[in-house]
Amino acid sequence: MLLLAIFFVVPVVSLLLRSVTEPQLGLQNYETLIATTTYAKIFWNTFLVASVVTSVTILLGYPVAWLLSILPGRWAAIGFGIILLSMWTNLLARTYAWMVLLQSTGVINRALKALGIIDTPLQLINNLTGVTIGMVYIMLPFFILPLQATLRTIDPAVLQAASLCGAGRWQAFRRVLLPLSLPGILSGGLIVFVMSLGYFVTPALLGGTSNMMLAELIAQLVQSLLNWGLGGAAAFVLLVLTLALYALQVRLFGAPGREG
Amino acid sequence: MLLSFDRMGLLRWILVLITVLVMLFLILPVAFIVALSFGSSQWLAFPPPGWTLRWYHEFFADPRWMAAIWTSAKIGVLVMISSTLLALLTSFALVRGRFRGREALRAAFLTPMILPVVVVAVALYAFFLKIGLNGTLLGFVIAHTVLALPFAIIPISAALAGFDKSVEDAAILCGASPWEARLRITLPSIRHGLFAAMVFSFLVSWDEVVVAIFMASPTLQTMPVRIWGSLRQDLSPVIAAASSLLILLTLVMMLLAALLRKKADR
Repeated sequence: MLLLAIFFVVPVVSLLLRSVTEPQLGLQNYETLIATTTYAKIFWNTFLVASVVTSVTILLGYPVAWLLSILPGRWAAIGFGIILLSMWTNLLARTYAWMVLLQSTGVINRALKALGIIDTPLQLINNLTGVTIGMVYIMLPFFILPLQATLRTIDPAVLQAASLCGAGRWQAFRRVLLPLSLPGILSGGLIVFVMSLGYFVTPALLGGTSNMMLAELIAQLVQSLLNWGLGGAAAFVLLVLTLALYALQVRLFGAPGREG
Repeated sequence: MLLSFDRMGLLRWILVLITVLVMLFLILPVAFIVALSFGSSQWLAFPPPGWTLRWYHEFFADPRWMAAIWTSAKIGVLVMISSTLLALLTSFALVRGRFRGREALRAAFLTPMILPVVVVAVALYAFFLKIGLNGTLLGFVIAHTVLALPFAIIPISAALAGFDKSVEDAAILCGASPWEARLRITLPSIRHGLFAAMVFSFLVSWDEVVVAIFMASPTLQTMPVRIWGSLRQDLSPVIAAASSLLILLTLVMMLLAALLRKKADR
């Protein structure tokens, strides 16, 4: 307990204190963050990527979670095996794979060229496209696994009832299945969004220097520029955003991990 | 009908198609890295012009990679021990304790899991610079223990909550001292939780990148830090070999976990 206090609470609090005391007492670091266009762009990038990643993850993850929740055991087991393998594989190994795949002489560009779809290689890396692909890849398991658990708790009889009452497929989906699975979608989506906001590794490697995101900015301010005041302020913004969204999550859906 | 695979009609095949595509999306990069690590092309041409073990030779012949593996393993084992022990004590307090603010305390212990790692990393970096723990083995172990603790507390307190305390009380009634009862009755009963805590703690430390980048010094680098450094220079196939070894480790761990689960079910 003491360990946590000394090596967790004290460092975090003192970092936040530095944001209002360095170089002098006051809120000027926060003013700089808001007023400088470079930083404004970084905040915008971060929100944009987190939103796009969350939307794509939901769109791709929902059908998968749906199918996994109704597939017969053997096939579902294969699906879970693949998801878990991808999730547990070292983050850097996975990001490395995407760096190789997405580069201008990489497999994807060559294949597209060979198929005659493009003439010049697409710029897939060192921009937000690369970051989005890499992040969706990492976030998918975090969305699919909880959502399929939610879907499993829905009683198929409810849908049978819907069809007995004359609902077509689309209507049954829109008015029964979707509302019933909405808590799972929102809760999973929120997790993905929060994780994306503070993600460091993938944006740093796939994003290039001109498309920085918030976590990378914090690291750079502190490590290369030694600007602890501004770095602390940026960290504080990220911290508040994360905790606020987490509080929302707890309020709406209860604390995650309590059932498991 | 929408939740019955056999009675979905056309919709079923749309779902199957999307799922197969997503599964390919998830598995192909992993397979791709393994294939590249055996490919003979320095420039990572794919499909490779030939097959070779050269990158694995280079990997195992490079003392810097070997040092990084050794450092990672050392830190991982130390974190595994410290985090499991601390989590065990904490779980006893959280599950058995009856005091005000228990829920708040529980939440506090799980916060390192929610906070963005980069914030924790920067904060610890600043703190360790002041007290001179940066770039030391002890600093690494402490930092990783902070991150690993929630992952150890969750399985242990779950196991402890599921363990019937009256068994322990029975042992005491039969003449065991409280400590003897805890060590010989309670601990073996929650061994699955303890084991899960050990595996998670080790893996958290072994795979951790962000904090490690800040903690590392040129002479003390973990495996992820070394990969990170090489990735920023070039995309050498040696990294593919290193990544493939990490993937192999993941597979072994998964099989081990599956085997243990089967054993536990029986």
